Amino acid sequence: MGTSHEILALSKLAEKKPSAFFPLGLPVLLIRVGAEIFAVENRCAHMGCPLSSGKLEGYILKCPCHDWAFDIRDGKFTRAPELGIKTYPVEITNGIISVRL
Amino acid sequence: MKKVTIYALSTCLWCKKSKIYFEEHKIPFVSVDYDKQAADRQREMMEEMRGAGCTGSFPFIKIGSACVQGYDPEEFEKLLDKK
Amino acid sequence: MNIKARKEALRFLFAPVADRLGYKFTPVEEDADFLLEQEAQIEAETGIPYCPCQARTTDRGENMKMVCPCIPFHREHYNAMRRCWCGLFVHKDVTDPGKLRQIPESRI
Repeated sequence: MGTSHEILALSKLAEKKPSAFFPLGLPVLLIRVGAEIFAVENRCAHMGCPLSSGKLEGYILKCPCHDWAFDIRDGKFTRAPELGIKTYPVEITNGIISVRL
Repeated sequence: MKKVTIYALSTCLWCKKSKIYFEEHKIPFVSVDYDKQAADRQREMMEEMRGAGCTGSFPFIKIGSACVQGYDPEEFEKLLDKK
Repeated sequence: MNIKARKEALRFLFAPVADRLGYKFTPVEEDADFLLEQEAQIEAETGIPYCPCQARTTDRGENMKMVCPCIPFHREHYNAMRRCWCGLFVHKDVTDPGKLRQIPESRI
């Protein structure tokens, strides 16, 4: 199940701008799309590039290195669903975003 | 003897194997490395390959008026024998 | 860039990706070594480990479909050949890659 880790205030997470954090030293990306918050691994399944400067279109995040694209809702690589990035459960309590790792 | 031209990449294993095939069969050929050409020549080569219904995958081998994409000894033999 | 070390790094990075896709490195070690060497050289020149057997153009979108392992972008074609175009990867059940043929996409 993992443990919950507070990351930052919901009000500080900009819309559609992936933001990188390192709870427990792990590369985690927080992404806000409207009212939804997603937490995914900030490391491409291809060659490990950070996804933080990738382009977000809808729910699809494209790696800046070689354009591998992932659905941030389930982490799956759009071209081959057997590959993907980790996704983490997100909780919001009293306006604070926490991620379960 | 039919004229043989190999369009190759200097980094491509199967281009190398194709050249060895023609050398071993003592068939003279002309080889052009796509990656060593100027941009204009590359464009021409790519147009020619696509015009023949091929993609940008190498080797691309012209045997007489026919062409083969990929290292395919059986096909080479067939085209070389064909009158 | 230390090409020898980078070849090993590419092998380490690509093995799990290929595995998930149902592929493995060709058991013909000489071929795998040659192809990885080319990729490491191409990466040293361009920053990207492109397939050594496919031509790049000025179209980034098209070029990204040739970055190794490019299997996800040519799945149907490679599954039919049971190997990728350059032969660095073969289907997991392949024991004799010498029997596999390079078939152009137009003939699949």
